[in-house]
Amino acid sequence: MILFLLDFSNFDFDQLFAMNDDSNPIMMLVWILPIILFVFYGQRIQLYVTSGEIKKAIKKLDSFREESRDELIDYVKKNTIPENDPTVKLDRFLDYFTIMPVDMDPNGIVDKVRHTVRAREDYTREHIRTLSPQISDFELTKVQTLLEIASSLQMIFKIVNHMFLTAKKQNNYPLILPLQMILPFIMEQAEAMNEAIPAFKSGQPVGDGIGPMIVGKMMLNCEKETISFQTILAKTDFEDRHLFLLKAEGPGSTVGRPADALEKITAENSIDTIIMIDAALKMEGEDSASVAQGFGAAIGGIGTERFQIEAVATTKNIPIFSIVVKQSVKEAITLMTKDIADKADETRLQVYEMIKDNTKQGQSVVIIGVGNTVGVPQ
Amino acid sequence: MIFSNIFSKKKITIAYTVVVCSKCNMQRKRKFTIGDVLFSESSKCSSCDGISVIEKIFGETFEQ
Repeated sequence: MILFLLDFSNFDFDQLFAMNDDSNPIMMLVWILPIILFVFYGQRIQLYVTSGEIKKAIKKLDSFREESRDELIDYVKKNTIPENDPTVKLDRFLDYFTIMPVDMDPNGIVDKVRHTVRAREDYTREHIRTLSPQISDFELTKVQTLLEIASSLQMIFKIVNHMFLTAKKQNNYPLILPLQMILPFIMEQAEAMNEAIPAFKSGQPVGDGIGPMIVGKMMLNCEKETISFQTILAKTDFEDRHLFLLKAEGPGSTVGRPADALEKITAENSIDTIIMIDAALKMEGEDSASVAQGFGAAIGGIGTERFQIEAVATTKNIPIFSIVVKQSVKEAITLMTKDIADKADETRLQVYEMIKDNTKQGQSVVIIGVGNTVGVPQ
Repeated sequence: MIFSNIFSKKKITIAYTVVVCSKCNMQRKRKFTIGDVLFSESSKCSSCDGISVIEKIFGETFEQ
């Protein structure tokens, strides 16, 4: 019926495009002006549209930066009894930067990175102690984490603002494109960091603490010793296997130094298997708190700990098995969700199963609970 | 964007502590209080004379 109404053989092209002599000049302008406008000013228009969105994000980042700074200063003043007003010193700490070693010659780069990062951590720790000499180790780890969060948020704000202002100053739209593309990911990280502050202030376990939570429970009623900096070792037996349980020293906010601890254990004992339990970032579409098993060292961070663990395992020919609890960036650094906490017992049973499946009686296993142990003692 | 801001509900997270009696295994969920850490002794069990130990600490998010 409709086909009868449309006559495809009778188009008047002159009328359609209005290019004949009697066409309306105003209509011509309506056609041509936007084309000229978009050809010459298209990028600039896009820049204005995009910059509106980026400006909103920068405003949000600025508020995160300000809030995290205020929270840090407020926490230090209320909880650590500083000798003098800590504001000036803390502001100085927030601006500290780390220059990573030159990687043109990558030989020995891991040792250099480890040295730089540890030097920064040691420096920060000692300077927080100078603010308040009576501060307990537990409070010190919390202040150190809050300082890291505030410092990271400050750095994110500065970088995003710099990229935006440079693009705007140069009227350079292509320069703003990478920022526009990466901004949602940056905002996700920044929002997660901002929401992590209350959990660290209150000493509550975070999603990343699932590994220490599982190993911490396995350590209960065992004799414990400090094996490396902020890292605890407990020895126990399970079905005729010797277990070396490792986790960061809780309930402070620290990840410890599991690689140093593993190096010491393997130097003094014959180890047959390493099992690592950690939180892992879930992919989009994956269920939060789902548990997965695999091979290789499950440990995040800058990569130096993983490198050291892999080096020890390779030298001594020890297989590494991993169990991970999947979660989002936000879940990993904010207060542990019920779903993740509920998976602790199930994952612990999987660890015991893994020990039985992969080792024989009389063998030794190192079990490492990887992650931030805030709110999780042993 | 405007509508999403108007209609989006504010989310609040409340921290809870789950304590388990080491004698009768009775579980009790209460609001988190500062000083709560996992595996520490929390209080006397309300149903027997056992000691309750903190088993879990987690957050639950609600929309306002």
